Amino acid sequence: MKLWQRLMCTARRRSPWLFHMNAGSCNGCDIEIVAALSPRYDAEQLGVRLEGSPRHADILCVTGPVTRTAVNAVKTVYDQVCGPKAVVAIGSCPATTNVFIDSRTLVGPLDKHVPVDVYVPGCPPRPDAIIAGVARAATILAERGNNPPKTEMVMAETVKPVEEVQP
Amino acid sequence: MNILTMMWKNLRRGYQTLLFPARPKVTARFRGLVQFDPALCTGCAVCRFRCTSRAIEFKAGKGEFTWSYNPGQCTFCGRCVEGCIEHALKEGHTEHALSQQQDTPPVYVVQGELKKSYTVARRPPAPKPAAAPVATPTPNPAPGGTQ
Amino acid sequence: MNPLLTALARFLIFPGLLFAVPAAWFFLWVERKAVALMQERVGPPFMQPFWDFIKLLGKETPPRPGIAGLIMRAWPLIAVSSAAGAVGLLPVLPSQGGFEGDLILLLALLELPSVCIICAGFSSRSLFGEIGSAREAALSVSYNIVFLLAIVSIAASQHTFRLEALAAMHPTFLTVLGVIAILVCLPAKLHINPFSLPNAEQEIYSGPMTEYAGPELAMWELAHGLEWVAATGLVATLVAPHIALAWGTTLLAACLFVVLSVAVVLLLSVLAAATARLAIDSSVRFYWQCTLIFAVLAISSALFVRFWS
Repeated sequence: MKLWQRLMCTARRRSPWLFHMNAGSCNGCDIEIVAALSPRYDAEQLGVRLEGSPRHADILCVTGPVTRTAVNAVKTVYDQVCGPKAVVAIGSCPATTNVFIDSRTLVGPLDKHVPVDVYVPGCPPRPDAIIAGVARAATILAERGNNPPKTEMVMAETVKPVEEVQP
Repeated sequence: MNILTMMWKNLRRGYQTLLFPARPKVTARFRGLVQFDPALCTGCAVCRFRCTSRAIEFKAGKGEFTWSYNPGQCTFCGRCVEGCIEHALKEGHTEHALSQQQDTPPVYVVQGELKKSYTVARRPPAPKPAAAPVATPTPNPAPGGTQ
Repeated sequence: MNPLLTALARFLIFPGLLFAVPAAWFFLWVERKAVALMQERVGPPFMQPFWDFIKLLGKETPPRPGIAGLIMRAWPLIAVSSAAGAVGLLPVLPSQGGFEGDLILLLALLELPSVCIICAGFSSRSLFGEIGSAREAALSVSYNIVFLLAIVSIAASQHTFRLEALAAMHPTFLTVLGVIAILVCLPAKLHINPFSLPNAEQEIYSGPMTEYAGPELAMWELAHGLEWVAATGLVATLVAPHIALAWGTTLLAACLFVVLSVAVVLLLSVLAAATARLAIDSSVRFYWQCTLIFAVLAISSALFVRFWS
């Protein structure tokens, strides 16, 4: 039904629930995410709720360049997020690994492992930029929701142990 | 009773939130996106040397050079702008090619969307301004733009 | 009127589903907005719980094969139907419906959503669900003793277990004490600060609800909202006796019911904004040490009044 689809689009745009994941970040972007929920910026005016479980969330906010030990966790959590979902890479680290570009403990930018929808640049980005990124992801979700791409599982069936770095 | 008086004061004062999409003003020395002025660049590549995250790329060609900047890689430290100012002052110029925008960088959707590239033809060096009267005139010609 | 038709009207129309579901969304919004305004924030827009519900209906659920999946899907439906039934039983209008002992049924229906949360946490076989359910069970045992003793003392002092009669009673010192005791138990029943431990976010990853997603989560949110309506409605009907009898219109009685419920919601929001979350030992100790003594006093004085008069 067309009316139901329009209603669902509006609902997805107006009720983005976040799950925040730290993939090896320095915590600067995480502090700015918490500041985005504080009274001055107040993400709740857009209906944003920080959820405690990835199964409840629509938008996965990832900070930090993806370290070797965090990459399996990020993929597992991405698979656990249900239904029409979006990923926001907050800060320059998940987009391009920023200053850690030659580090041996990183496995590259985030979009090598999960599909990223919105990039919020900054080191750290300001809280209003983070809210703008989440609002953009909510509009992307609203358009995507009615033909959801079949999201195949990103994580392999068996988890391989992380190889040791050769000295 | 302190918390109750606080809550009552909050209710009387009303909300202090910035309603979306209003944004707060940034301060005077806020470091935003790096902006490049091709007309002023001498192609010294000090900015590429000083960049901490390899956001600036510099490729020298025959009679021209290509300067590119990827804001997604940038960490907004400002070392490139400082280096450009120092180098320009050392050469006796008052103007420099790099500055930082005093505004938040925009959100983007496609990886590398904000990357900017400029190809600049090398110019003959600008003449140095007149030397101070007390200094002896140096016989060295002004350094050219070749690498 | 046909008692079956009256019962169906009470369950489906007013104060049943047709009224209770929008009222649930409204009360949830009032609580969030009041807490936000007291924290100097602007808070969610008016239709926010409605949009949350619609959005959750459109999400996928993870595959849960076998009987465990069926049981997990059943708990939110049981919670919603029992909370809706509890709202439907509330004696808002003086319609002579109800039966002898329907107070017991109301208490049972009010209790079922917490039991469903506990069972849901255990049946989801997730570590965080188990911890959350254990905390909810400990809290539930503690506040339920006080809650039930308070209601039973009110009922015993009026010599009846019929809700209609309780709604029409004249306030005495004992009933005031009982209503205060019920108000003290409400924050724990509705999982708001300072007793919001069972669904402590970031501490145990949403507790019993960790593995729920999509339409099941929508049903849990709706059950939570209906619990608000039922609990605040119970206090509203006990506080204001049938004023409609004096004023003579059902519309005024309905409006008074809504206004009193919203007042209780605002009172609980002030408490939620002013306090932080207590740990499980402090919450349990509060109910066993501080409030149990008053509940025991209330029931013993009710029995004393009953046997003496």
